[in-house]
Amino acid sequence: MATTQATRYIAVEGRDIGLDPEGFVVELTAWTPAVAEALAAEEGRELTPEHWEVLEVLRAFYARYENAPAMRPLVKAVSQALGPDKGRSLHLMRLFPDSPAKVGARLAGLPKPTNCL
Amino acid sequence: MSEITEAPHGDLLVMLRHAPHGGLWLREALDLALVGAAFGQSVSLLLMGDGVWALLQGQGPGPLGQKGSQSTFEMLEMYDIERLYVDVDSLEARGLTRDDLLLPVIGVSTPELSTVLAGHRQIFNF
Amino acid sequence: MLLHLLNRAPSSSSVHQDVLRAMREEDGLMLIEDGVFGAVSAQVQHFPGLEGRLFALREDLESRGLAGRCDARVIIVDMDGFVALTEDAQRTVSWF
Repeated sequence: MATTQATRYIAVEGRDIGLDPEGFVVELTAWTPAVAEALAAEEGRELTPEHWEVLEVLRAFYARYENAPAMRPLVKAVSQALGPDKGRSLHLMRLFPDSPAKVGARLAGLPKPTNCL
Repeated sequence: MSEITEAPHGDLLVMLRHAPHGGLWLREALDLALVGAAFGQSVSLLLMGDGVWALLQGQGPGPLGQKGSQSTFEMLEMYDIERLYVDVDSLEARGLTRDDLLLPVIGVSTPELSTVLAGHRQIFNF
Repeated sequence: MLLHLLNRAPSSSSVHQDVLRAMREEDGLMLIEDGVFGAVSAQVQHFPGLEGRLFALREDLESRGLAGRCDARVIIVDMDGFVALTEDAQRTVSWF
């Protein structure tokens, strides 16, 4: 169930992917890794394996808890999945500057974290 | 015998007293708890009255596809919300036991309820 | 002292029982809105053992025509008194 209307579209592999006003994918099932690459490219980011492993953690978090995590639980989830060296705010801030929880959720095709202001 | 092994303490106590599905109280209470925890507050939950139904196993989405709260309860530990107090009288009055609940809880007897309330800096009752 | 606020009548909701179980000796109970129906003599037995710390809001009593029916065991306070009570309390807890 889409809770928001798409206000713009991004073309990925011949499909138009709807985005909400903040750039989050509207239809969660429309997401593919190529969508993440396209969204990252729009922002001038390039996704490395270090980015991808965090995006996988985000998607697994959403699959289990039906919510995108705020920063603190994201750090905890990354720490549990990838080890304490990567489960640090600093590492995540370096990968996803500004707001790792928000930027990460967007690239991973999740809704905006609700409890992240 | 008391199950409370350390004096109840914390920044926020969020009390859930309304049954799930009948209204938005449960969701609002959980949202508040998550926001508080996301901002680094130490948060405890207290389930009392019909609020204890919220932890019943085997709930599903509503008839219109409304999300259940089970996954959100399971997510609490990721927000370091680990003190989940349950009023044991409310459980018993509804024919429930711990085995019927989704998560391990700290049982609170009637004389201990006021201790839980007094141990928190702010109380939000839903 | 915690000040508990109750806005439901004991005849229509069992929430007052939960309030009483959660109160300490030093805590106060303030009846507001429909809670003031519990202040009439025929209902006040729902709040045993609260002499000197059971309050009802005058404005809510008057609007429901209950000013003359409030039991003597209930302390009537007006809005200013209510504000003063909340200032005395470490915190307030609303029950509804």
